[in-house]
Amino acid sequence: MIRRGGIGLLAAFLILAALGAFSDQLGLSSFYLILLGSICFWIAQATSWNILSGYSGYFSFGQAAYVGVGAYTTAVLSGRHGVDYFLTVPLAGLLCGLLALGVGAVAFRLGSLRGEIFALLTLAVPFILAAFARINRSIDGGQGTTVPIPDVPDAFGGLPQFQYLLALLVAAVAVAAAYAVQHSRMGSALAAIRDAEDVAEVMGVATFRYKMLAMLLSGVIGGVAGSVFALQIGFVTVESVFGLTIPLFVIVMGVLGGRTHWLGPVIGAVLIVTLQDRLSSYGLDAWNSIILGGVLALLVAVAPDGLYARLRARPLVALGALVVVSGGLAVLNVWGDILDWLVVGMLVASLLAIVLGSRLVGARLPFGRRPAADVAAAEVAPDQAASAEAVLAEAVHAEAVHAEAVPAGPGTGADSGPAPAGDADDAEEAAAADGAGEADRLGPVLIECRQVARYFGGVHALEDVTLDIREGELVGLVGPNGSGKTTLINLLSGAFRPTRGVIRLDGQDITRMAPHRIAHVGMARTYQIPRPFDSMTVRDNVAMAIMFGREPLALHRARPIAERHLATVALDHLADAHPADLNLHQRQLLEMARAVASNPKVLLLDEALAGLNPAEVDNAVRVVRRIHESGITIVIVEHLLRVLNQLATRLVVLDRGTCLADGEPQVVLNDPAVIRAYLGRQAHV
Amino acid sequence: MNVIQATLTGALIGGLYALMAAGLSVTWGVLRVINLAHFGLILIGAYLTFQVADSWHLDPILTLVITVPAMFVAGAAIQWLFDRLRLTEFNSLLVSFGLLIITIQVTSNIWSADFRRMSADVNPYATQSVAIGRLVFPVTTLVAFGLAALVVLASHLVLRRTFAGRAMRAIAQDRAVAGAFGVDHRRLSVLLGGIVGATAALAGMVFALSNALTPDTAYEWFGTVFAVVILGGIGEVVGTFAAGILVGVISGVVSAVWSPAAAPFVLFSAIILALLLRPQGLFAAGGVR
Repeated sequence: MIRRGGIGLLAAFLILAALGAFSDQLGLSSFYLILLGSICFWIAQATSWNILSGYSGYFSFGQAAYVGVGAYTTAVLSGRHGVDYFLTVPLAGLLCGLLALGVGAVAFRLGSLRGEIFALLTLAVPFILAAFARINRSIDGGQGTTVPIPDVPDAFGGLPQFQYLLALLVAAVAVAAAYAVQHSRMGSALAAIRDAEDVAEVMGVATFRYKMLAMLLSGVIGGVAGSVFALQIGFVTVESVFGLTIPLFVIVMGVLGGRTHWLGPVIGAVLIVTLQDRLSSYGLDAWNSIILGGVLALLVAVAPDGLYARLRARPLVALGALVVVSGGLAVLNVWGDILDWLVVGMLVASLLAIVLGSRLVGARLPFGRRPAADVAAAEVAPDQAASAEAVLAEAVHAEAVHAEAVPAGPGTGADSGPAPAGDADDAEEAAAADGAGEADRLGPVLIECRQVARYFGGVHALEDVTLDIREGELVGLVGPNGSGKTTLINLLSGAFRPTRGVIRLDGQDITRMAPHRIAHVGMARTYQIPRPFDSMTVRDNVAMAIMFGREPLALHRARPIAERHLATVALDHLADAHPADLNLHQRQLLEMARAVASNPKVLLLDEALAGLNPAEVDNAVRVVRRIHESGITIVIVEHLLRVLNQLATRLVVLDRGTCLADGEPQVVLNDPAVIRAYLGRQAHV
Repeated sequence: MNVIQATLTGALIGGLYALMAAGLSVTWGVLRVINLAHFGLILIGAYLTFQVADSWHLDPILTLVITVPAMFVAGAAIQWLFDRLRLTEFNSLLVSFGLLIITIQVTSNIWSADFRRMSADVNPYATQSVAIGRLVFPVTTLVAFGLAALVVLASHLVLRRTFAGRAMRAIAQDRAVAGAFGVDHRRLSVLLGGIVGATAALAGMVFALSNALTPDTAYEWFGTVFAVVILGGIGEVVGTFAAGILVGVISGVVSAVWSPAAAPFVLFSAIILALLLRPQGLFAAGGVR
């Protein structure tokens, strides 16, 4: 797959380069060279945009900044200061890279940056730069600058050939970069950021770094292509390079072609540029923007996943339509020339792909990136799931029998079942003795909270919580709604920072650490409402945690390990399905498999049993117990006291942000203060 | 003296920015739609004012009788479309961007890309001004400020005091729950879309009073108006008004002291700084978000 794409890319580049190099012999007029050069420019720009906005989901409206800075670098340096053209191209890339890093550093440092705010921030950047170019006389003061024609080496033939080959080279490098990114760790990281950024961060993905890398790459490509653009247009003005039509074009191309695949912007650019050219040649310039705007609005509403996914779902139909329509028009020799036939053929093929594809891809699947085979697999899945459930039910039954036969003795650590009902005093004494004995057998302190507080404005969610959790414990965190349980989980995983206090994990101060580094120290968590990466298969969801875990692995090596983790939660038969096809219980099991896959020291389970039916609860409890037995310390937030009573080695009760009780489950649950706060006056355990 | 004049004129012009931004801010905050087509409605409102006033020799302010209902219908129709398509917040940005581009091109096809301006005999306001001591205030800016204050006050009262306003705030906080309590969000959002469209007609009229029109001006509003929306706090009408005045003052003073070309440079730099320090907006008090 990887090799095939690479070879195809290289072959396309060589063929297109040969077209340019031998254009005289082939009888290719400079009109075609200019058109092809323009397509190459837009491919480079759309790809530059896509590496950031398509892959990571942060839509930029500021592509004009790169085009403008790139073009002006070349125009001013070579036009006013006589710098060699070839030197200005890398300089343009460098300047745009720096600009991108600057914008990224500002934007991505914003707490809780939302996509819309990023879009508007990037929209403002070209305005600032355009204003700067207008007021600064040493740039051009708004007058415009002519780009001198560089000395073209003889090998290239004339200027049109040279311009075309240069643009082709930049476009090829851009597409190759997008291809490489998509198939690398960075591609996985950006996809995870697109799906659920904070989940990715907490899982161990250095989101800030990957976003900055994407910005940098996008900026350099955009700047270099902008520099080539300056030569193509010959005269650079603020209006021509900083205008809003540039972001408009790249966004339309990206949305039309498809944003999650490297080929998407290429398809979009080819279609849009040729269509525009044909419209102009028929004197329909006034309709250009109307059609573009209409295409954008319609596509977002009808096929937000873009053409690429649709074409891949029905490649033969699309190709057939292209050949039949274009070939038919050519044979009949009606309606203009070869370009018209091609454009009509491409439009028909795209329309067919969209219409047919929406039945296959769009209707059911929110992201629509799946090949047909996966859909088939997902449809088969329910049967398998049913049979697997039967197996599981049997297993549960067998274990229940086993448990009855051999009552779990108190203090067997992981398995400390409910103390036999009887004399309460005896039970308490036993528990106390047991607790002391347990402390000896437990490992060193893993999590240390020292007077941790967290305020949200005037709301004191947590107040002076001091807590030690030792290795090997299974701590149940309980308390009424709003008592600060989830806040504590969020503080431990680094999603929030405490207002006050210190948190240590395994001896390291993690109070102000970035969440992905806390994950690398050994913390993993699940979410109350499961938050899988929707665009990835179940297997890749788990593989992500391994790829970006404490010992990073490549994707192809992480996948087999991921399957093992899926097997431990009995989800391996759904490895090829997408999270959207899973039920709540399966999604929560996926959350657990994903968290365990990162090989944590401590696992934080946030209401992992909420909303499950009794059979599912039993199954989930078995999974939690198995995870605990494998040596992972667990903190579980849960409302079902019956479950915690069996499962936990220790209970911590929070009430209104403070620690109300802490100790052996039986003791804590009989504490009058706890009963009052948590269960109400009349309740009984 | 120069700076004082620039500050006051800037503040008055800020009324126009607030008038343009208020509708955008409310649809974003309440309906979760980032409606770039709003700029298109303002543009058409401005051109309709120009056309009606010029060809029928009507007082430009009287043209509101025609433009306000027209833009109400247009705004309601756009909102109805967004509702039918069930767009996410972000996709609404893309779809309405498409609509805006279509609007600008259609405007350009009808009225040409050249600058158009109401002739002086139908537009007496353009040349009049009120003098207080040595300070001079063009009537057009007073109209802009007055209308903006009126719209802001009215929408503030409607949102706080009336049943429909409370229902809209409920929708803003949680559409599903509001629906469960019997709030018909479809009808309310179409109504709100219409009202917002009507404010676009007001803004368009005010713009046409003092400016020559060209379709591309819609793009020029983009930056400033979004700055006002974000600085004011999304969905905060009163905040939008304050932010409009602030932005107007900054632009006015920078233009007077330095150079008009430098105004956007200073303004957007200030916005980025403000976003860094207070991402929820300068004048947001927690608000609907």
